[in-house]
Amino acid sequence: MTIDKGISTAGAGAAGSPASGGDAGGGPPRGTGARGAPSPIEYRLDPASGVPTYLQLVQQVEHALRLGYLKPGDQLPKVRDVVAALAINPNTVLKAYKELETKGLAAGRPGQGTFVQATLTQVALPELTGLRRSLLGWLASAEETGLDEDGIVALFTSVLRDFYDRRGGADRHAGGDVRADSEGAA
Amino acid sequence: MNVIETSGLGKSYGRVPALRDCTLALPAGRAAALVGPNGAGKSTLMNMLVGLTIPTAGSAAVLGGQPAGSAAALDGIGFVAQDAPVYKSLSCADMLHLTRNLNRRFDQQYAEARLAELGIPLKKKAGKLSGGQQAQLALTLALARRPRLLILDEPLAALDPLARQDFLGTVMTALADGVSVLLSSHALAELERVADYFIVLASGEVRLAGDADDLLAGHRMLTGPAAEADRIAGQHSVVEVRRAAAQAHVLVRISGPAEPVPPGWEAHPVGLEELILAYLRAPGGAAQPGPAAALRPEPTEVAR
Amino acid sequence: MTVLTLPAQPGQDAGMAPLPWRRMVWVTWRQHRATLISVPAVLGVVALFLLLMGLKVHHDYAALAACHGAGAAACENRASALTSTDWTMANTILILMNLAPALIGGFAGAPVLARELESGTFRYAWTQGFGRLRSTLARIVLIAIVLAAVSGALGELFAWFFGPPMQNAGMSPGAATVFVTRGLAFPAWTLAAFTIGVFLGMLIRRVIPALAVTFGAYLALGLLAWLVVRKLYLPELAPGRIVILQRLPAVPHFWPAQFIEAGWLLALSALLVAATLWLVRHRVA
Repeated sequence: MTIDKGISTAGAGAAGSPASGGDAGGGPPRGTGARGAPSPIEYRLDPASGVPTYLQLVQQVEHALRLGYLKPGDQLPKVRDVVAALAINPNTVLKAYKELETKGLAAGRPGQGTFVQATLTQVALPELTGLRRSLLGWLASAEETGLDEDGIVALFTSVLRDFYDRRGGADRHAGGDVRADSEGAA
Repeated sequence: MNVIETSGLGKSYGRVPALRDCTLALPAGRAAALVGPNGAGKSTLMNMLVGLTIPTAGSAAVLGGQPAGSAAALDGIGFVAQDAPVYKSLSCADMLHLTRNLNRRFDQQYAEARLAELGIPLKKKAGKLSGGQQAQLALTLALARRPRLLILDEPLAALDPLARQDFLGTVMTALADGVSVLLSSHALAELERVADYFIVLASGEVRLAGDADDLLAGHRMLTGPAAEADRIAGQHSVVEVRRAAAQAHVLVRISGPAEPVPPGWEAHPVGLEELILAYLRAPGGAAQPGPAAALRPEPTEVAR
Repeated sequence: MTVLTLPAQPGQDAGMAPLPWRRMVWVTWRQHRATLISVPAVLGVVALFLLLMGLKVHHDYAALAACHGAGAAACENRASALTSTDWTMANTILILMNLAPALIGGFAGAPVLARELESGTFRYAWTQGFGRLRSTLARIVLIAIVLAAVSGALGELFAWFFGPPMQNAGMSPGAATVFVTRGLAFPAWTLAAFTIGVFLGMLIRRVIPALAVTFGAYLALGLLAWLVVRKLYLPELAPGRIVILQRLPAVPHFWPAQFIEAGWLLALSALLVAATLWLVRHRVA
């Protein structure tokens, strides 16, 4: 599964310079964050999705962390390059990086950029399969009671919100615990 | 610092007012979108900010108090007018040379590198460039002067989607480097990703002005029974009421998200486009009061 | 990736002394290259023509003057045949010289500002660091200097060319049609036409209409000068009196009259430039 490239423009820095050093084995092609200091990922934007831009960036970073495209110590794409490639306001990118800092996932180094600080727990495959099965069961019973798809989504969203609100507002995380960077991804 | 400050600014041609009673305070570090229908006064306002038009009422100052049109003001503002005018018979290299002669600062290296990046040959006559290339040339010339404020009058109107993306990418990069931006458009959708400050103009008046976040936090859409609409409207500062037989929507100004919702009514946040359209529809009386007197704190340093 | 577009900070500029005037030399040259090349080029061709023809004219009239004594009638008939064609040509050129300032000045002057306004490039040119009043003044003055130089030279060349035919016909250099084509008057009229063109170009904002009105205004001014103004300082010879002499009667007020005419024309030109600059300040958009 590959990360989609950001919208390429004539004006932005050249895309697709080959990976330099780093991981062995087949990793996804490295996008260029900047000449000489590539970031492993590039952002894409879905203007019609209804999700605020900054949130899309946050979600893409978390997604990349989960799938292993980003590891602790990697640099997130530089604000200037994101802005040149996607034509979005730099404050949007800053907002996203600030949100990632609040979540403990990234940290800014003055004069250098923003770097991945921690990783998201990756749930092991057997547990994932178990969760899938129970969810399918729940969906079957929901359908039996007469709920249609939109009704199911509405019910799930409202319970999800209640679940995390009860946990305490400021500290809610979208997907799993944050672990300090020790061994890296499971 | 306010990059743009106007006080009661107005311009009348004979008895026809193109702009009246315009009071704005735009802080530095923003990309401000000036939106409004054709004939709203956007070009008139911009012309006054760059000194091409002399006001008939009020005053305009830029870059922290420099009178608009003064030498210091012109020095610090890069302006690209509608349709990106360049001398068609001059080569791009000549346009660079010309701009260098006419200005205090000119980053020749930046300009040449930028044109090379864009694939625009220096020897080519400016008139032979495509629309998108001409716009990029004009933008390059403006940015090579190292301005503190970039003013762009309808820069995207004649550009195809790819050219628009390129152009806005360049503008956003300049913003990241610390150049404040004011750009006008009558097409709202493409500005939402780019702008964090909005000025809404209609029929020569400012209807709304402020940081995008503040505008969104300061409004809410109340939905409830049509019968109660008038009572609810009386309790709030109302922008617009839309009612059907059973249901009504009332767009109101609020002090903050914590403001209580009237019982029996639902509150929804309002999107920027919906908000701006409502203000465009509303007649003059519904205009948002002038910009807040207190300055927001400066945004954290953007350039990395 | 390109160099950062870091904006200048307030402390970086060493004061706001105005940009040096000499920068406008290249700017004016590049922006008005067509005019600054074509006008001297055309006039250069005319000058060459006047030079070559002038040599012939001088020769023909000298030959006529040299016819005395025996065989004088035959000699004179031959010479007169030549000089009468010379006279026709010289008269034609005289008329053209009377119109020349309008053509030179009009074609040079009207487009200076009108073209900027018509094409919209003023929105670039007048938002640069070099303010629009100073840059406009510089352009006007620089072009005016070139026009004054080439028209002055042309006037002098024509005066030499026209000398023998004029003498032979008994015309005085104080005659209206001759007076304006030489000395200080010819460049002064050219400059007047130029500044009329520049002013009307700024007022009317379109090149072709400005050109048309410039020619009209020039003609009106020329008529005014001929019928009214010049009479104040240049007495006319009694009409119908043709003096056939080898020497012309001295025109006692020729040079003072030239100075007066150039004087009021230049004053008018300066006034028009001031009016143009006023428009540039107040009526751009």
